Amino acid sequence: MPAMSDDLQVRVRTDPRLLCSVRWLVRGYLQGFGYSPERTEEVVLAVDEACANSIRHSYAGNHHALLVLSFRALERWIEIELEDTGTPVAIEKTRAPKAEHIERERLTPGGLGMYLIHRAFDEVLYDPGTERGNRVRLRLNRTQSTGT
Amino acid sequence: MALTLETHGQDEAQVVRAKGEVDLYSSPQLREAILKAVEVARHEAHVDLSGVPYMDSSGVATLVEGLKAANQRQKKFVVLAPSPSVMKVLHLSRLDTVFEIRPAESGA
Repeated sequence: MPAMSDDLQVRVRTDPRLLCSVRWLVRGYLQGFGYSPERTEEVVLAVDEACANSIRHSYAGNHHALLVLSFRALERWIEIELEDTGTPVAIEKTRAPKAEHIERERLTPGGLGMYLIHRAFDEVLYDPGTERGNRVRLRLNRTQSTGT
Repeated sequence: MALTLETHGQDEAQVVRAKGEVDLYSSPQLREAILKAVEVARHEAHVDLSGVPYMDSSGVATLVEGLKAANQRQKKFVVLAPSPSVMKVLHLSRLDTVFEIRPAESGA
């Protein structure tokens, strides 16, 4: 059951062809809060990257697992939470790489994706489980929006 | 928006024209088309991204792979007409100065 503070909660199978549906959902949810189209697209890309990282790394490419996405409007933040039940990610891999550390010759989607996630959101909180699962809360400051 | 790919050869270049979104699902198709174009091209492989409104990091990594494959074969790899959103991802990746980017296919 979604928490009482959730506006929306969806379960998405980890089939990469469903990522376009996730993008559509994120774009639609944010429209109600008055972020600029440019800001919205940064966030859409970042959520896509977070889901792709989960599919690639937590689930090692398994297309039949589940991701749970929860959307909530808190007093200070718009929060998008992503949960999986895959292999916990090493916490050092969740830190923000600096732009100058995105090495062209060794560019990987995962490394660039993490950079894009941290760049788009004001706060990124990774909470890997001890044995199974990951939870990441992606927070967007509400003062950047003009909506309610 | 599903990705469709067309490849055609010109005198000097093989051109891959992509239409649709490039993400974790579709980037393997783009990768296959680009690497084939690099292989077949006499001198240059071009990828036309004018019809790509969205590209994630897997797409960027695919372009890098194409560039590396072309460099290894002493061929040129050119990105044609990326949309503003694709250009932004390339810029954020600090790759906008690494690729040769041309405004349109007429430069082939």
